[in-house]
This record gives sequence, structure tokens and C-alpha cells, in this order.
Amino acid sequence: MSLEKVVFGFFVLLAATLNFGFFIGDIDDPLLHNEYELFAAVVVNLIATVLKFGDRTQIGAVHLATSLVADLQLIAATLAWAYATQISSHGLDGEAMASVVSLSGGALAANVVSVVLLVIETVSFQRR
Amino acid sequence: MPRPNDAARPRQARRWTRIAAAMQGSAPIFLILRRMRAPLIVLITIFAISVLGLTLIPGQDAAGQPRRMGFFDAFYFMSYTATTIGYGEIPHPFTDAQRLWVMASIYLTVVGWAYAIGSLLTLLQDRAFRQALALQRFTRTVARLREPFLLLAGYGQTGQLLGRMFDALGRRFVVIDTSGERVDALDIDSYHADVPGLVGDARNPHTLDNAGLGHPYCAGVLALTDDDEVNLAVTMAAALMRPELPVIARTISPAIQYRMAAFGSPTVVNPFDRYGDHLRLALRAPSSYQLMVWLESGLGAELPQRGIPPRAGRWVMCGYGRFGRELTEDLRAEGLEVTVIELATAAGADPSIVVGDGSEPGVMARADLDQAVGFVAGTDNDTTNLSLIAAARRINPNLFVASRQNRPETAPLFAAMRVDSLLVPTEVVAHEIYAQLSTPLLWRFLREMPGLGDAWAEQVIARLRTHCGQRLQRLWKTTLNGQEAPALTRWLEAGGATLGDLLRHPEDRDRRLDVVPLLVLRGTAATLGPDDDCVLAAGDQVLFAGQSWARRALLDTMQVDSVSEYVLFGRYVPSSWIWQRLTRRPARPRVPTTRTYR
Repeated sequence: MSLEKVVFGFFVLLAATLNFGFFIGDIDDPLLHNEYELFAAVVVNLIATVLKFGDRTQIGAVHLATSLVADLQLIAATLAWAYATQISSHGLDGEAMASVVSLSGGALAANVVSVVLLVIETVSFQRR
Repeated sequence: MPRPNDAARPRQARRWTRIAAAMQGSAPIFLILRRMRAPLIVLITIFAISVLGLTLIPGQDAAGQPRRMGFFDAFYFMSYTATTIGYGEIPHPFTDAQRLWVMASIYLTVVGWAYAIGSLLTLLQDRAFRQALALQRFTRTVARLREPFLLLAGYGQTGQLLGRMFDALGRRFVVIDTSGERVDALDIDSYHADVPGLVGDARNPHTLDNAGLGHPYCAGVLALTDDDEVNLAVTMAAALMRPELPVIARTISPAIQYRMAAFGSPTVVNPFDRYGDHLRLALRAPSSYQLMVWLESGLGAELPQRGIPPRAGRWVMCGYGRFGRELTEDLRAEGLEVTVIELATAAGADPSIVVGDGSEPGVMARADLDQAVGFVAGTDNDTTNLSLIAAARRINPNLFVASRQNRPETAPLFAAMRVDSLLVPTEVVAHEIYAQLSTPLLWRFLREMPGLGDAWAEQVIARLRTHCGQRLQRLWKTTLNGQEAPALTRWLEAGGATLGDLLRHPEDRDRRLDVVPLLVLRGTAATLGPDDDCVLAAGDQVLFAGQSWARRALLDTMQVDSVSEYVLFGRYVPSSWIWQRLTRRPARPRVPTTRTYR
């Protein structure tokens, strides 16, 4: 067992689960979507991205690409949330919440791909 | 002899020959990413903890009501605090609990930033990283070259000399050398063109590949290092990867020369061997030798002095290494008597060998120097050579002195000694390679020229001096075909086209252009030093020497119809299409007027 693989798998999976946890629930109901969970999802996604740096294999490149997509989507979601809470005169209404959650939903898709890649990598790994 | 500079190569041939597509150098961006992994994770974690802490710790607003900080404010606050900018406590003054947390997080984040920035700066200073960057930049520059270039493996004295000569001709080249100092010197040297240089081992085929061995515009490979083994490896790699490329290698060992010849047909230059040939030529035909040295010395070279070595008598040779042996053989082959002074006794009981140190007074006397006509100082130490020359001159001031100069720094000393014939191995190699690669027909000319005799060479020198002056002007090759000389096609087909008519001045056809035709090549038959009555035919290749303005004037004659009409037939023809239509006259038989030059 390699500690590196444990940490890597942990962060990739945690990024996906946190993302899922924030995403689930009615899309326009602010009560069902915790901002702390979004914050945790952003942080864990960023760490997962950095962990994927510097791997030059084909699967490593796709891994990094999915993470970058998830980061982009989650940061967009955060910006939408910050706009709604701080700048917009309407505050965090259903419309704003819907856009935040749908953006995080896109990130979830990327994270799912990332997890699928992780599974494929694990299954195809042959121990001699 | 393949011609390296034929610009019109078929389009299909211009493809990369990849030695190993997968073997690319590590891209620097991956190196940065890998090394920055730990610092970035530390930074993200510290930020996350600090921001999260700020949102969780209870605070109060201006009215004293309990209120927690939002993520937006917390991130904003941490961003300017961590980067040591610091705008104060917002949106409301902090409580003591918040201040305690902020205090801890300030120290944490500053450490995080310092770690990340420090790692990045260390990485930029890193040797491996810089090498990776330099390799990538070099490979990219070479790959972008869009004109024929030469690959120089080894940038020592020979390489630098050749580099300057080719640069003066406007030719491009790429350099590989093991010494970082020499490659750095490329930036300081005043070249017209940008010369890409790489520090690397030329024995490695991948280094050669990065330097453009597989590049469609690579026009030739020169192996010029002072290590015969490396030169052999470069020759081998070039012959195996690009068999069609001309390869020129330098060596001083006949064994290596033999091994190189096993790979294709590289041109091998052995400076000692060549110097012997040159000295023999100088003995037999001083003017031919003078002409050869002049033409090999490159653009702007002054006419060298004509040294006349004594053709009869006894020579004394000091230093019997590789050079001494070669030269002794050559001199004996010319029927000259040679006495050798050699320190080592390995030479055996040969009566013509005097054993001893040449710098000792008694040894010189034993070689009967006062009766000799020529003296060669051929050791591999310049100080020894200089003192030998001085000692020999003291005994016999009328000696013809030849010497070997090993280091470029001692050149002024040898010049002050007024040595009659000087061998500088690096120059011999550079001039030889220049003659082979600079102008396609020059090599042919130089090889066949000695056969025409000394008097003929003297005439050519005289012609060159009248037309081009004391310094060597540009040499260029012209092919009289539809592509290079479209205005001459009908004239050449009509027959009776003489070189003299072609060389009339476009401004005043009674004058002659200051151009000396050196060689006319028809098929495989070469005419050296053709005179003005020489009849040209379509497809002939001509080697000219002359000023660059004369070259441009000749180009006008060859390409512009109105100019060629005037130069060849003395007719004024309008140059624009409309006027040509308007003034069209019935065609007259095109017979060149046979007026001679004024």
C-alpha cells in the first residue's frame, strides 16, 4: 500500500463527495445548500488539482484536465454566490441560488469523470 | 562532391527526419508543476484554515450585535493580510477572539507565501531547470530555421574561424560544443545572423537531432572537435541518419580517417597531410600555391605573399611527431634531403636522424645547419618552436623557415619572427572546408588549377588583381538556364554566345564589367580561367569573381530583357510592355556586334 495513492484517492473522492453534497437538494432553495460545503469543495478541489500536477502519462493529463474544469466551475459558482450576497440588490434569491448550484453541478460532472478515471486506473493496475 | 547549397531542393525532400519522436526533452512546465506541488498544497491548506476560522469565530457589528463574518469578507481579509498589504479590520472592528485567530493565521500565511515564492525562485536558479530551458529554446530556434544551415559539431578555433567566414557570406549555422564558455561566446561574437548554440555532447545522436540533423534545411555536417573519437561518432551518426548530407570531418590520425571512410563518403581533412601537400605545391609552383591560399582565405582576404621555398638542398626538421613524419615524407617525395632532429631514440639507426634536444647548441651543429637551405620547427609547443627558429637563424640567417603554430595567441610572435611558411592546423582545416562548402564550383577549380602550371596561375592572379583589387571579392556561381538567366535564353540558343559579350557593362557596352570568370562547367567538363572568346551554351555553370556591384549588374543582364538587348546587341528596347508593343519593329537577325572593348 502506498501512502501517496491513499492521499491521492482520498482527495479525488472527497472533492467529488463534497461537490455532490452541495449540489443535492432543490436547485433554487438556499436553505438546502450550505456555503461551508461549497467552500470545502473549492479547497479540496484545488488540492486535488495540485496533487495531479506533473504527471506526464496520458491518463494523468486527462486527470489534470478534469480537475481544472471542476475548479473553473466551482470558482465560477463561488463568484456567482459572492455577487449575489455582496453586490446584487436582490440578495441570495432563488434565481441566484439556481445559478450557483447549476455551476457546481457542472463541476460535479467533471468530478465524476475524475472518479471514473481513478477507478479505471485502479482496475487496470497490475501487480507483478 | 554533393553540392550543399542548391537552394532548389524538391519540395518532397523537405521533411523532417526524426531520430526518435518520443525522445523529447522534459518540458520545463512539467518540472515547475512537479516541484511546486508541495508549496502550493501548503499554501491552499493554510488559506483554507484561516478563512474557515474567521467565518466560524463569533464577532460583532458596530451596534454590538453578535455577527459572524461571511466567506467573502473573510477571504478578502486573508488575501490582503497574507500578502502583507493590510487594510485594517473590516467590515467591523474585530473582537479579541477574532484577533487571536488572525494573529495565528498571519504568521501561518506569511510562512506559506515565503515557502511558495522561495521554492519558485530556487527552481529558477536550478541548473537542471536552466538546462531544460536552454535546450528547449535551442531546439525551437533550430526547428524554426527556414534557410539552409550547417551543423558545426565543435566550436573551437577552427569552428570560430569557419563561423566568421560563413557568416560573412550570409550563411547560417548551428553550433554544438561541450564547453559552456564557447557557446556563451556566441552571444558576444559579432555575427550578422543569430547563431543557435547548445552545450552538449555531439556523440549523442539526440543532441545532433536537437541541433537539426533531421531538419529539411540542414545542408551539411562539420565534425570539428579536437577529439578524433567524437568526430568519428558525428560522422557515423550523420552518415546513418542522413546519408545524402555532405559530411566533413577533421582528424589528425590516418587510422580514424580510414574508419570514417567506412561510413558513406565523408570528406576527411587532415591538417598535417594537407600542409605537406601545400608545401609540395609551393615548392613546385609558388604562384599556384599563392592563388590557392588566396581563394581559400575567404571574402576580403588580402593577396598573400609569395614565399619561394628552396627547390634544391637539404632541409632540417625539428620534431618528429605525426606532423614531422608526414612532412618529412612529403619533402623526400619531392626529392629533397631531410635531416631530422628528434629527442626520442625510437627512430633507430637511421643515419639522417640526429638524436637530441634541438634547443641544445651542440645538437643543432651536428645537424650541419649551416649547410642546410630549409628549416622546419614542427613541435607541438609554440615556445619551443620560436626558440628553435631563433637558434637556427643565428647559425644560418639565409634559411627558409617553416613552422607550426599551435595556439592562436602566439600569432603576433610568429609574425614578428617573419616565418616564411606557417602551418596553423586550425586555419588549414577551416580554409579547406570553406573552399569545399562556400561556392559549389570553387573546390573543383582548386583541385584542377595546379595542373595548369605556375605561369597560368600567375596570369589568373594578375587578372584578379586588375579587376578586383588587392582584396578577394565575392565568388559566385551562375547557371545559364531559364531560371537564373531568362533574358539570355534566345541568345544562348542562337549560338556564338561569347563570354566577352555577356560581360559588357550595362551602362556602356564598350566597357567590360570588373568580373573574372574562373571556371565554366559544361556537363562534367570544366574549362578553367576561360577567356572572353569562350563560347557559352545553355545549361553552363560559371564561377565568377568580382565586386558585388558587378554581380548585380550581371544579374540585370541575365534577367532583364531590355538590359540584355542593350548589352548583347547594342539595341535600346523599352522596358515597359506598352512601349514594347508600340515600338515593335520587324524582327532583325540577332547577330551580336563584334566591336571590341574600348
